[in-house]
Amino acid sequence: MSVIRLPRVKTEVVRPKPVRLKGGGRIAFLVVTSVLMLVPMYLLVVSAFKSQQDILTHPFSLSPDLLTTEYLQKAWTNPDFNIGKGYAVTALFVVSVNILSVALAGPVSYVIARRTERRYRVLLLLFVAGTFIPSQVLVIPVVYTLKFLGLMGTIPGFVLFETTLTLPFSIFLYAGYIMTIPASLDEAAAVDGAGKHRIFWSIVFPLMKPAVVTMVILNTFSVWNDFVNPQIILGPGSGLYTVTTGVYAAVSQYSTDYTVVFPTLLLAVAPLLVIFVLLQRHVISGLTAGATKG
Amino acid sequence: MSTPAAAARLRDRLTTASMVGPALLLFVVMLVVPVGLSIYLSLTDWNGYSANPAIVGLQNYLDLARSEEAIRAGWVTLLIAAVGTVLLSVLGLGFALLVNGASRLNAFFRVVLFYPHVLSALVVGFLWSAVLGTSGVVNGFLTSKGAEVLPFLSNPNWALASLIGVLVWAGFGVNVVLYLAGLQTVSRDLLEAARIDGASPRQTFLNVTLPALAPVVTVNLVLSLVTLLKTYDLVVSLTGGGPAGSTQTAAYLILWDSFHNNALGFGSAQSVVLMLVTAGLALTVARLRSRVDQGVKA
Repeated sequence: MSVIRLPRVKTEVVRPKPVRLKGGGRIAFLVVTSVLMLVPMYLLVVSAFKSQQDILTHPFSLSPDLLTTEYLQKAWTNPDFNIGKGYAVTALFVVSVNILSVALAGPVSYVIARRTERRYRVLLLLFVAGTFIPSQVLVIPVVYTLKFLGLMGTIPGFVLFETTLTLPFSIFLYAGYIMTIPASLDEAAAVDGAGKHRIFWSIVFPLMKPAVVTMVILNTFSVWNDFVNPQIILGPGSGLYTVTTGVYAAVSQYSTDYTVVFPTLLLAVAPLLVIFVLLQRHVISGLTAGATKG
Repeated sequence: MSTPAAAARLRDRLTTASMVGPALLLFVVMLVVPVGLSIYLSLTDWNGYSANPAIVGLQNYLDLARSEEAIRAGWVTLLIAAVGTVLLSVLGLGFALLVNGASRLNAFFRVVLFYPHVLSALVVGFLWSAVLGTSGVVNGFLTSKGAEVLPFLSNPNWALASLIGVLVWAGFGVNVVLYLAGLQTVSRDLLEAARIDGASPRQTFLNVTLPALAPVVTVNLVLSLVTLLKTYDLVVSLTGGGPAGSTQTAAYLILWDSFHNNALGFGSAQSVVLMLVTAGLALTVARLRSRVDQGVKA
């Protein structure tokens, strides 16, 4: 975690600053880029409060007499998609997948990192090869595996599949990270009579927090934003909508009625975006900290 | 006499199995078996519900080689992956160098560059289609000023360019963060030494920073490539594969054939090819890059 923050305290002199444009030019260029990055978000926010006519004729205007919360209220009470329930269902998935992913990937990564036998190298390769399987394509045969197990269209079926998708990268990152933690710590605990599970969870696990934070952030984004897997596994029949499948149900038929599109999209992105903005420093340093050591 | 030792070894094995077992079981049931099932289905004519699918050998692969639609989707996917990977890597490194300083302003820029990654690709697509569509915000604005409508999503070439543009807009912040992480690992001593020796910023970049970043470049290339080869959500929400199928990607066509056309065997054959191409390209890039890495060290 401290890896990226360290430079804050250290002196500026030794920071790598290779292709520095002259101060003012660099800032101007970044300001222009930032505007390009933010314009769609600005349009999303202001258009959620405007009528169709005003969206098209005065897209950028912030004049108070154009703005109304009428459409936002309508989107919140849309009969096609209960957004409040969508938040709750998606949050439940995010939490379950994160817990299950750490519980499964942690111990196996520990074994892979500490054992030197060839079969554990092979095991690591097997897991990492999973990164190359596109989940959008994998979900097709998974439908039939889940049907066979009686888990198709159920929350456990979806959570188990979504957890599986997190395993390859988690194990890759965790195993790499654990290798940087001295094994002498485990040995000391083993001498004191602690079992392997105990050693992992009470000694190694707390030390791999940066890597876990990185994975939790990545998995939270990917589960919250996943569309194809909930759409296919949970399907419209189950009545369970995540934020994305709900947006699809609410928006796809009315894609040119912007008084439906913009308010629904705004409500869909608001929670994660607010959390991200509040925690931005931790998110970005959390992502880099896990990545540098792993 | 060896009983306690044997018991200890057994206990050790059981503990290891209990740590490896659950993850491996889930991985096998939800990933290895389904991949095997895909390979098997690709050799059948199954439509998704019939009780007795017939084995048709390599027929689906022969059909695939002759399917104009599938071949076009393949080229579209490769084009998106190639152009996208280059843009993501170049912009990622470029902006990482620009926002690497510790100031508050740089922290702000980092957030602005990264935030689209927090939005789901589905939402990003709907948002941009509302902005760029024929009756969208930009064209509505142009019309109200008496200007011509621009065919961002209605002309095949424009639509493909828009798709790649939006993919890059939404994704390069991740590359910026990865390169920023890499820049933290560049040896301060070497940079300091280069500065003392009077190297220009350009020389320092080419001879110190860039070689030190080599592994990060590889990670960026492979991750971008693998991600772009499975582009799907954005196609659904931005272009719907159109106009006239010009922005259909491989993943889009596979899901369409498998579930809408009930051609599961044919869809599975496409899946198998996509998986092989993805793994093949990713490994090739990694292999080529590792030669570069070694060349640098030598």
